[in-house]
Amino acid sequence: MSGKPFFVLDNGAYTLKLGKTSEEKPKLIPNAIMKAKSERRRLFVGSDIDECRDASGLYYILPFQKGYLINWDTEKTIWDHAFSKNCCPVSFPDTPLVFTEPLFNFQPLQEGANEIFFEEYDCCHLLRINSVDLSQIKYQSEHPDSKACLVIDCGYSFTHVVPYVLGKRKSDLIRRIEVGGKLLTNHLKDIISYRQLHVMDETYVMNQVKEDACFVAQEFMTSMAEAQRKGPANSILKEYVLPDFTSIRRGYLRDPKSEPEESVQLLRLNNERFSVPELLFHPSDIGLPQMGLAELIMHVINECQEDIQPHLLRNLVLTGGSTMFPGFEQRLMKDLRALAPCEYQIKITMPSDPIGYAWQGGKVLSTNAKALKEKFVSKQQYEEHGHTICAEKFDI
Amino acid sequence: MVAERESGRLKEASQKRVLDEASRKRRARKALEALEQDNFHDDPHADLVMSKKVPKFQETLENKKKRSKRTQEWFKMRFRKNFAQLLEESRSYRPDSPNYQSALAPPSKLPDRHFCAVCGFPSSYTCVQCGARYCSVRCLGTHQDTRCLKWTA
Repeated sequence: MSGKPFFVLDNGAYTLKLGKTSEEKPKLIPNAIMKAKSERRRLFVGSDIDECRDASGLYYILPFQKGYLINWDTEKTIWDHAFSKNCCPVSFPDTPLVFTEPLFNFQPLQEGANEIFFEEYDCCHLLRINSVDLSQIKYQSEHPDSKACLVIDCGYSFTHVVPYVLGKRKSDLIRRIEVGGKLLTNHLKDIISYRQLHVMDETYVMNQVKEDACFVAQEFMTSMAEAQRKGPANSILKEYVLPDFTSIRRGYLRDPKSEPEESVQLLRLNNERFSVPELLFHPSDIGLPQMGLAELIMHVINECQEDIQPHLLRNLVLTGGSTMFPGFEQRLMKDLRALAPCEYQIKITMPSDPIGYAWQGGKVLSTNAKALKEKFVSKQQYEEHGHTICAEKFDI
Repeated sequence: MVAERESGRLKEASQKRVLDEASRKRRARKALEALEQDNFHDDPHADLVMSKKVPKFQETLENKKKRSKRTQEWFKMRFRKNFAQLLEESRSYRPDSPNYQSALAPPSKLPDRHFCAVCGFPSSYTCVQCGARYCSVRCLGTHQDTRCLKWTA
């Protein structure tokens, strides 16, 4: 262990994962400012939302658009709140900062980050890095013998498939599916609003419905057939009790009951439960002309050199919140097994905490004594060379 | 004389307006774009006028001294590019292959699957007018009553 801990900020489009590397786990904070109908005159910045009693009709102000940091004034407000005393206090002038950015981040945004962290927050040392790179570092530390690895990052804005060979990222082979948690929640909202209850304003609640009720079908068409049956032959049909924010704080899933209750508001969820996450495997179901996840993974692997291919298939790792649907890993395994040559072994690693996995990579980095010197840019260097040295050292 | 067999659905449809391919595509694109939206309702605080009479509380006196060198307005000015502008700009300084555009997944080689626009189950039929999918006469009725050509883009 080298002396000083780092502060790692995995700046996700929907959730900030942050904390000192001396901690066990990162703190999760929503990367949004929200406005509630019930409490006027108050903005809920980041983790403030836990104090909001009535989360119906929440209005989101998001700093990210299409996965990239666009609204800097919003983001700055959220960061200020996150680094404040009652959230995650940190003193940047003597704590090195690891900050993550999306793949292919635009140059003006990279320069903006340099400016803010060096000039506004007075960072002593800064490392800007891909969250996917951090995941790879974490994976490498857990599997030191692996020659290659394929990170599947399924986040809020999009899904990336990123191959690494001998620890080096193959940038020209990275592929992106434009399906992420946001699209899935919006799609669920869309179909529920059309079929039974108008919930277009209830992004926050519907996101919880998605998390609680949705799963990935193992045999999509079989599940479809089952959902069409009536009575006990259909194990998919469930009722979701919506929160009313007086007695029920968070909704829950339950078996359908015959006697109707007057007091609670219900959603009947049938094929919605699995046809929504199915979009990750078949984006063409809503008319997105892109490959599904399993097909894309095989496409990327086939572009690699042949001697690397079996190594990639043996080292697949899932990260990001949208991989947490029940059945995701098994379904991916099943689809890949059908597509990959049978002599190759397939192994998928599903971390126990796919959301904090990249942050854990930052923790691994802090144990490397040489990292600070080799990878970081110090404030002094920035003042001398400006953006040039950052562009040279940081590989986004 | 034997009456000619004909489909009532087709006969009826021929008298109605049929959406052409271009506007069908435009509708589909609009629907996809809508899935990127953050909010579907208006800002609940939009009509709020902050009263000047309300006292502004400050926890400590120090806060005033510590005020950030740069205000929110500065941030808005410094980073005012939206996503489309950034993408357009990146075309000039990163024109070669590993970039945002080249990383998009290619179209699937598998055939499209079709689902009923009303109930979500596999569908076999297409609405003659707007091209939406449906699975049964009942769903077609719902579709025509609610969505079909109701919000033409």
